[in-house]
Amino acid sequence: MGQWVSPDAIAALLSNPKPDSLTDIPEIIVQITKLEPKGKSYGFDANDGKMKIKAIFNSRLSSEIISGNIQNLGLIRILDYTVNEIPSKSENYLIITKCEVVSPALAMEIKDEKNEELGEKKEESGIILKPKQEHEIKGEVKKESSGILLKPKQEMVAKSAAQIVNEQHRNMAPTARMAMTRRVHPLVSLNPYQGNWTIKVRVTSKGNMRAYKNARGEGCVFNVELTDEDGTQIQATMFNEAARKFYDKFQLGKVYYISKGTLRVANKQFRTVQNDYEMTLNENSEVEEASNEAAFIPETKFNFVPIDQLGPCVNSTELVDVVGIVQSVSPTMSIRRKSNNEIVPKRDITIADETRKTVVVSLWNDLATDLGQELLDLADKSPVVAIKSLKVGDFQGVSLSTLGRSIVQINPDIPESKKLRCWYDSEGKETSMASVGSGLSPSTKSGGRSMYSDRVSISHMTSNPSLGGDKPAFFSIRAYISFIKPDQSMWYRACKACNKKVTEGVGGGYWCEGCQKNDAECSLRYIMVVKVSDASGEGWVSAFNEEAEKIIGCSADELDKLKSEEEGSSYQLKLKEATWNPHLFRVSVAQNEYNNEKRQRITVRAVAPVDFAAESRFLLEDISKMKGSQ
Amino acid sequence: MDTSKPAIFVNGGLLPMHVQKRVRIVIQVLGSDRGAVIGKSTDDHQLTVKGTPPSVPLTNFVEVIGIADSEKSIQAEIWTNFGDTFDTYSYNQLCQLANGEYQLLFL
Repeated sequence: MGQWVSPDAIAALLSNPKPDSLTDIPEIIVQITKLEPKGKSYGFDANDGKMKIKAIFNSRLSSEIISGNIQNLGLIRILDYTVNEIPSKSENYLIITKCEVVSPALAMEIKDEKNEELGEKKEESGIILKPKQEHEIKGEVKKESSGILLKPKQEMVAKSAAQIVNEQHRNMAPTARMAMTRRVHPLVSLNPYQGNWTIKVRVTSKGNMRAYKNARGEGCVFNVELTDEDGTQIQATMFNEAARKFYDKFQLGKVYYISKGTLRVANKQFRTVQNDYEMTLNENSEVEEASNEAAFIPETKFNFVPIDQLGPCVNSTELVDVVGIVQSVSPTMSIRRKSNNEIVPKRDITIADETRKTVVVSLWNDLATDLGQELLDLADKSPVVAIKSLKVGDFQGVSLSTLGRSIVQINPDIPESKKLRCWYDSEGKETSMASVGSGLSPSTKSGGRSMYSDRVSISHMTSNPSLGGDKPAFFSIRAYISFIKPDQSMWYRACKACNKKVTEGVGGGYWCEGCQKNDAECSLRYIMVVKVSDASGEGWVSAFNEEAEKIIGCSADELDKLKSEEEGSSYQLKLKEATWNPHLFRVSVAQNEYNNEKRQRITVRAVAPVDFAAESRFLLEDISKMKGSQ
Repeated sequence: MDTSKPAIFVNGGLLPMHVQKRVRIVIQVLGSDRGAVIGKSTDDHQLTVKGTPPSVPLTNFVEVIGIADSEKSIQAEIWTNFGDTFDTYSYNQLCQLANGEYQLLFL
């Protein structure tokens, strides 16, 4: 290699203790000896073979030492420095503000010109006890002074073969050292009780850096998915310092040697890969890129769920993959996260597939801003988009949401993409499609599936005042209308265009604040409370126009007509006819504050007639469930 | 409601257990033969219903309440039209429940 300490380097430094400009400095290479931490910085003795001077690295350079770039017994070229005098000790000390590594650790301290160069295998003096210099020592080097190789006073220490090999190789280049001394362990062999391992793994997934706040304080965290040659996977997590240290280092698709991580049993709730253990890396962990391995981003394996089959996946812990044609892309929205008041960007896209159903996918963070913009630009070409690892929620029936680990591919080169393209270009473009959620959301008019889910008795709701505190709770009930108060204000005057409440206009007619228009006519829309009863008890529910129409059996306008004709007896009759009819109701329970008191409010979201055959089967199943649990 | 004369829910398979007892059964009308109505039970047994049917025409499904005078026939006292469709599966399950461990709930 030919790199060596500059002759009389220390003298040169001392003669120019405060150089004016960087060009002033001649080539100065010194060796680092006695490297040790001093608070946040590292101190050492700078050695030029002849002289030594106490030195300290600027604390900015500490990371170079921690990462192993600057090593004890290594050579550095000093690019910027200051020499200060310690008056009390009449000693000088050198502050290194800028340097570059010339060589990693040499075999030993340089003394005179007769010493070895880097790379020579030398027996450590500790092994061979030779109180007097003898000429049995083999090697290319001639020794003259006794202090070089031999340390007569050193005691013989029994060392294992592993230790000897380790020490011999300790001063070699880092990557070579790792590959040689530390056998690469298969991921499957790692366990929490044996910490002395090195693994060689590829980063197959990289999550975003997230900020968090918990009882112990705030921090940042990110994790990566690591896969080794055997295909075993493990998740590695890094917090705070380690997160900052390794976030840029870990790149998707690249291979790394990793050691000094800790293992613990994986938390099944958050587990994303099949491994009993998960790994944590801290600031002392070692991560070294394997330079001779090409980066390979494994082909994303998709397992698509057709949009019309997303219903059963709602609120499950399993993540889904979807593929579809992009029908629309929203602008970026800023959403404030409730947990930590952070603002995150979001963008909604609507996709459709051959099942003729559409679904909304919410893209978050980078996917919203960068990828979302790409989609917006391509939107009028109706691109195919394939997304992996989406969470399925129940907003508007079915909603999809990206996570840190979601992968989005636009117009991917996969067979599904081509099929979709074909379908869309030939028929999909013209087909009218429905949202997959509309058949399943609580507002469905047909009643459908939701009338049999979350079935409870009225007393279950009324006896539990804490229901619906956070967000409304939904249930379905089968109940009879038991009472409709005839003299309540059952309706409001509504704008014919937008259904909002209208006020009496100046000079007649009705004024709609929303439409900013006056209209001679208005429509009446129901807003009423009725009492419902079932075998368990009774309760009051609120019903709005569409639902109330089904309960009463006519529109509010019609009922108003009945009310205003001949003593209103036909009005009373209409209400009587509506009473004691059974219905299936989809209701929401929420808490309202009223005069500083919390009150339960039950609102009818959908009404459906009782299908007695289906109801009987439902009850039979209920009975067998009760029998089974005895 | 008159509870003095309870009738047991039966289908074709359960009728033999209650001969000479008051039963109620839903049958699908197949036709009439010498003044009696021939019907099919919800579990596909052919049965004979004697007695005077009501003056209104019978619908497809009819419930009859009366005394079982043999394993395959009933002397009907009350006839009720049940319409043209009927969930036979649920009715069979009901009969099982009414004759099984919960029969006391029904009498």
